[in-house]
Amino acid sequence: MGLLSILKKLRSNNERELRLLLLGLDNAGKTTTLKQLASEDVTQVTPTAGFNIKSVLSSGFKLNVWDIGGQKKIRPYWRNYFENTDVLIYVVDCSDHQRLQETSFELAELLQDEKLRGVPLLVYANKQDLATALPASEIAQHLGLHLIRDRTWQIQACVATDGTGVKEGMEWVCKNIPVKK
Amino acid sequence: MTDVLPAEETKQDRVVTILRGFQINWMNLRDADSGKILWQHNEDMSSPEMEHEARVPKRILKCRVVSREMNFSSVESMDRFRLEQKVLFKGRCLEEWFFEFGYVIPNSTNTWQSIIESAPESQMMPAIVLNGNVVIETKFFDGDLLITTSRVRLFYV
Repeated sequence: MGLLSILKKLRSNNERELRLLLLGLDNAGKTTTLKQLASEDVTQVTPTAGFNIKSVLSSGFKLNVWDIGGQKKIRPYWRNYFENTDVLIYVVDCSDHQRLQETSFELAELLQDEKLRGVPLLVYANKQDLATALPASEIAQHLGLHLIRDRTWQIQACVATDGTGVKEGMEWVCKNIPVKK
Repeated sequence: MTDVLPAEETKQDRVVTILRGFQINWMNLRDADSGKILWQHNEDMSSPEMEHEARVPKRILKCRVVSREMNFSSVESMDRFRLEQKVLFKGRCLEEWFFEFGYVIPNSTNTWQSIIESAPESQMMPAIVLNGNVVIETKFFDGDLLITTSRVRLFYV
């Protein structure tokens, strides 16, 4: 499922412009996930020192996907990109056991932010191809997803480098775009 | 004229400061269906005095969906960064994108990619007509301040 087909699915929503926001720690696989959605080569991905945006236009409808760098020094700037977000996509490197707590903390901060209140959350439990990767269910537990009461959420196991699970996650996104009044 | 208004002077200084730390690192064109790069240029194309030239394979005109991507760096932070991109044919605007980035992180490198469906083949002008007559013009602003303009003329080879 490419970005264009995602946009076409979203057309039933009456909003003319939609915004997806991809966040997560550095090296989680945000840029790779985004490139995978656009069928692009994912072997040359480098750390994002700012943002990557993909804008898709079709029949007057626009989809903007924002991927913001996850390095510690960039995280304080994340807030600048919260406004008007329709769905938050949070990517986790499931093999990075050492930083599970760090990624949980960052997600908790996001979920407390006023600007992201009620915004649906998709968590990609990435790098499932690695032997040391924790399963999605365990990641969900670490992140405390079951305690979320103020928004819909989903966790999706994936391998961003080969595309496994990425499409399924986007299908959930398409179904859960909030209808704005 | 020496008696420039102070406010104007500050604005101009700001443009100079931003421009000094602003650079377009690369641009490319892709067949967005396959994700394959059809043309890429790795030189700074932000120098406003110059019109740059791109030799693009003719087959791009057959692509159902095309993407244009640009990567740029900024030393300065900006609050209301935006761009206006136009595709001009003999100076006439065929297509226009407005994009508002909002905040730009100091010392950041960023990419913006626009993906658009092509006109149906029946409405597409042939390469021979388009050749050398198409210019992609990108203007970068911080709020109302024009930072720089990039112009790339396309040749279909």
